[in-house]
Amino acid sequence: MTALPATDPQHREGLDLRLTGVGVRFAVPSGTLEALAGLDMVVEAGSFTAVIGPNGCGKSTLLRLLAGLLDPTAGTVLVGGHEPRAGDGRVGLAFQQPRLVPWRSTLDNVGMPLELAAIPARERRQRAGDALARVGLESAGHLRPRELSGGMAQRAALARALITDPPVLLLDEPFSALDALTREAFDAELQRLWLDRRRTVVLVTHSVPEALTLADRVVVMTPRPGRVATVVEVDLPRPRPVELAGDPRAAELAARIRAALAAAHADELRPWTDARAGEPVR
Amino acid sequence: MRRLGSAVVSGLVFLALWKVVTLVGGYPDYILPAPEVVLERAARAIGSGVLWEHVGVTLLEVVLGFVAGATVAVLTGIALGKSVLVERVLSPYLVAAQAVPILALAPLLDIWFGGGLLARVVICGLIVFFPIAIATMVGIRSTDPQLDEMLRSLGATSAQRTRLLEIPSALPVLFGGLRVGVTLAVIGAVVAEWAGASAGLGVLINIANQGLFDTPLMFVALGALAIIGLVFYGLVVLVERRLVPR
Repeated sequence: MTALPATDPQHREGLDLRLTGVGVRFAVPSGTLEALAGLDMVVEAGSFTAVIGPNGCGKSTLLRLLAGLLDPTAGTVLVGGHEPRAGDGRVGLAFQQPRLVPWRSTLDNVGMPLELAAIPARERRQRAGDALARVGLESAGHLRPRELSGGMAQRAALARALITDPPVLLLDEPFSALDALTREAFDAELQRLWLDRRRTVVLVTHSVPEALTLADRVVVMTPRPGRVATVVEVDLPRPRPVELAGDPRAAELAARIRAALAAAHADELRPWTDARAGEPVR
Repeated sequence: MRRLGSAVVSGLVFLALWKVVTLVGGYPDYILPAPEVVLERAARAIGSGVLWEHVGVTLLEVVLGFVAGATVAVLTGIALGKSVLVERVLSPYLVAAQAVPILALAPLLDIWFGGGLLARVVICGLIVFFPIAIATMVGIRSTDPQLDEMLRSLGATSAQRTRLLEIPSALPVLFGGLRVGVTLAVIGAVVAEWAGASAGLGVLINIANQGLFDTPLMFVALGALAIIGLVFYGLVVLVERRLVPR
């Protein structure tokens, strides 16, 4: 196993991400599916980027590339100047579903990355306990995943992604299955975690308000094959409230992001009204 | 306690029905002996030590055959489950071998493996092999791909994924195969003994049936086999309760 560079000071401020001319094709029963094509993207070390776009535009594929789970069929992907390799300890990944192993306790789930790195059980439990405490689950370590609420399970998954203290954190819509209130609380906590320790974060989301609350930059993607349509810089002061609706600058940015989304996805966003029935309502 | 009670009741009902059939039919003992005749014969066979001698031999064959067959089957099943290539190459041979009646092959295997305990363990193990290997393969394939991807994202090696995820995921189905396999092990031991042995419950059946026309003794041997099967099945279920994640 690779040593985990968790305590290495040079990783404290995150790593930069560079994707150049990236294309990904999958073999599917009907031929090939082009998930990404000609994608160029640079993410500064220690910045928070939100990636937004409709289903099937390759957002999850983008995260899989950065996590080293997938190799691009064209172009280069660099994390801190090196090609990413799954398990190299530089990237933490949290999925849309918590993906906890059902027969393990929450503590043993969170400690799994350390177990794979052959770290002794005592230290593992100690660090897993600390990681759980960081997401407010210090008393839930002995519970099985099925005994956790959806929000608790997702927090445990976040603790698992953070336990090796990776300089890069990739979040694939981790809060999308949660109710609105829980989600807002999570967004606030995520902002706090990031302000506390500025790793490079890439968050895939469908929510414009969530992107505005959390991100330095919002990347709008085109439909498949995905590439970057527009980048919107979010120059709102931090810490930001979860509810930005009253902020005129935020409203302006939201409008720009929505316009970019609408331009990129004109086909999908077309009203469902039958054109013959009269003027569609916009 | 309640489970034991229901087992006792169903056992008594079974004996009563058996008794009624013999009373109504009035069969001679060499066709269908009454339960008390068989019990009396069992008491004599136990008293003289004859039954234990044969039970001991068969027990050894069942245990060794099951352990050997199940071990090879689980390892093969893991390889089949993890690699589509291995499955494509091996599965036609496995299925073809399974379709050949082991009863016909047993005398040949007996010669190949020296006619002793080893030969009988091999025959028993072969009968046990197939259902356990297939159950293991199906179980390994039932692994949640999302959990597998999660482990890969954490850099888990193939061996780590097998140990931490695939085998635990396979256990419920694998134990289904072990339950079938352990009952087949009893049949396997008898088939092996018929192919060539001087002791064992299979041999006792032959002696009682063809040599002595002692049908009650044959029933004693069959009963002993049934009890061995029940006990081992129960042991597998006990281990399953402890091991299968829930």
